[in-house]
Amino acid sequence: MSSHREAPEISKDPVADNTDVYAFVSPDNANMVTLLMNYIPLEGPAGGPNFFEFGDDVLYEIHVDNDGDADDDITYQFRFQTELRNPNTFLYNTGPINSLGDPNWNKRQFYSVTRVEEHGKTTVLAEGLASPPCNIGPFSTPNYPALAEAAVHRLPTGETVFAGQRAEGFYVDLGSVFDLIDLRPFQNLHVNPLPAAAGVNGTNRLNIHTIALQLPKNMLTSDGSYPSNPNDPRSLIGVYASASRRKATILNGDAEIKEAGPWVQVSRLGSPLFNEVMIPLAKKDFWNAQAPKNDSQFLDFVQHQEVPFRLTNFYPGVFPNLAAYTKPRADMVAIFLTGIPAGIIPGFQNFTGNTLADLLRLNMAIPPATAPNVLGILGGDLAGFPNGRRVFDDVFTIELRALAGATIHLVDPSFTPDANASKFTDGLDPSKINSPFLARFPYLGVPYDGFDNPSS
Amino acid sequence: MTDLNRRSFIKQTSVGAATLGLLSSLPALAAISDSPQATMPEVPAAVFGGPMIAHVTDVAKGEVALLVGAREIIFRDLPLVTRLMKAAG
Repeated sequence: MSSHREAPEISKDPVADNTDVYAFVSPDNANMVTLLMNYIPLEGPAGGPNFFEFGDDVLYEIHVDNDGDADDDITYQFRFQTELRNPNTFLYNTGPINSLGDPNWNKRQFYSVTRVEEHGKTTVLAEGLASPPCNIGPFSTPNYPALAEAAVHRLPTGETVFAGQRAEGFYVDLGSVFDLIDLRPFQNLHVNPLPAAAGVNGTNRLNIHTIALQLPKNMLTSDGSYPSNPNDPRSLIGVYASASRRKATILNGDAEIKEAGPWVQVSRLGSPLFNEVMIPLAKKDFWNAQAPKNDSQFLDFVQHQEVPFRLTNFYPGVFPNLAAYTKPRADMVAIFLTGIPAGIIPGFQNFTGNTLADLLRLNMAIPPATAPNVLGILGGDLAGFPNGRRVFDDVFTIELRALAGATIHLVDPSFTPDANASKFTDGLDPSKINSPFLARFPYLGVPYDGFDNPSS
Repeated sequence: MTDLNRRSFIKQTSVGAATLGLLSSLPALAAISDSPQATMPEVPAAVFGGPMIAHVTDVAKGEVALLVGAREIIFRDLPLVTRLMKAAG
């Protein structure tokens, strides 16, 4: 998956498991940038009575580099606190929840937002902000969109924030991918051929928890300017999200948990699928604990990928040029570790320098597309992945095609992509998501409710 | 550990811990500090406001990581670590 349960240790700690990160110029206000970081993979909507929530013991952060050194220049921190109103019931709610202050809602969560700047200046922007409840069902949460809207908080400092449950927006045919990349539309070409079939969205009707932040572009640039020139390095930001836990935990056997020590990073994510498919199992937990500025140690895994090797084995004869290509994958390094330099794609660059780091790089001077293409830059849409990432971008297909060799010729003209490289897909698009994306903040769809999902 | 031994252990180790509590309040000593002398200074109560966890990271060097609040103070105190090892049996 994008980064759901992607590493052995974090797969056992879903509350801290960073599943997706998005960064895009807001389509409904081009002066703003929206950053989303998702946690808690594969939430079954009916998962009560202890419905999903953020961890009070987790530090959630989204980091922004705006000067190309892969170091944090601006960090937003989010800390949560859960309050139980009635300790004498097992229920999440004892009646319909009609507002964020409804006394029927028993287990509520609040959070603080803190902005940390490069040299340590720390400002608590807000405390006690309410998260919405989970979407329980028509009797418990009869007007869920209104509850979620009430949980959109506009801060006096210019940011808009939301933290709570949303519908999973990442779509991928998990069943086929993990069944030896047996992509249904192309399984007739697989080493174990079956008739070609339509893709199945493995994340459909599941939820996640998102932390959403929207802010004016000039609050992210190094000099406070509004970026307007795509070739100006000041137009670029590199983004990643993380989750951290205290270094030590003591369990006293009386349900009291004590913690001490500094925060230790247990999960991080910039580009989708980076840790998932590029880093081998033995290194994934270590990768999660590292800062992006240290990613040069993972360069070899980016230059020499496993997926192309597997594709050429599972699809014999389908990718002959890819099978014969033995050079280090410079296209992968550009897409994932440095950004794409100017001169490769007309009108676009997101090259942040030679510091190798997995960051989601956004050129903020590129305006939102009037006719977006879910294949992003591969589809000729410069406002899409890997120029940041929008909620609807088909990042699985984009990366699959790149891994299959569709982007090698951009940096190595001697290579001719195989005919199938630019056709490969798991057969999905946003229409396979039942809860549609929103046209406004926080953009991810209304979470699926537990009464209707699953429905049979 | 018997009660007698436990009390003895607490009495002995509290000396080192109190010393370290004072050390942790001094920013200049945030890095590795050698504390061969076990003394009993007055320690601000705030230092012990939350849990404090001592992790012996290197027995041979007497190195201890003290986790208190959001801080980690690394120091060396071989006599303390020796006593801890004896207490651990």
